[in-house]
Amino acid sequence: MSRRQTPNEFLQQIIGRPVVVKLNSGVDYRGVLACLDGYMNIALEQSEEYLNGQLKNKYGDAFIRGNNVLYISTQKRRI
Amino acid sequence: MAVSNPSTLLPLELVDKCIGSRIHIIMKSDKEIIGTLLGFDDFVNMVLEDVTEYESTPEGRRITQLDQILLNGNHITM
Repeated sequence: MSRRQTPNEFLQQIIGRPVVVKLNSGVDYRGVLACLDGYMNIALEQSEEYLNGQLKNKYGDAFIRGNNVLYISTQKRRI
Repeated sequence: MAVSNPSTLLPLELVDKCIGSRIHIIMKSDKEIIGTLLGFDDFVNMVLEDVTEYESTPEGRRITQLDQILLNGNHITM
């Protein structure tokens, strides 16, 4: 019995959008979502890594294993 | 005295009732997330909107993300 399948729909909708992915460790990744799966494994393009300040830039594809993911967010505004 | 069975409320039903409301989620780490609940699944991964993230130790409020977030249910405590 699925309740509106909102997470699955959400995942289909956000592919191709710029997202913020936060990991358990607190590291932040901002990039364009290339694809992802039901385990929250993520492929990002042109991602940048933020840990307090900006750390590294990655271009091309980054793969993030889903068990490390705290959340995936589409971004519009930041304080 | 016969006691009528109280209708059992499943935890997921309670979460279902919260859809559309603003909720406060406490994570396993020192982090709290407040947002409007749009939906969830059987693993209690949650889709939230207009989210504010609070951390207990550093400066206090951290990030406000608009649009939607998918919060991994593995890290949710309450």
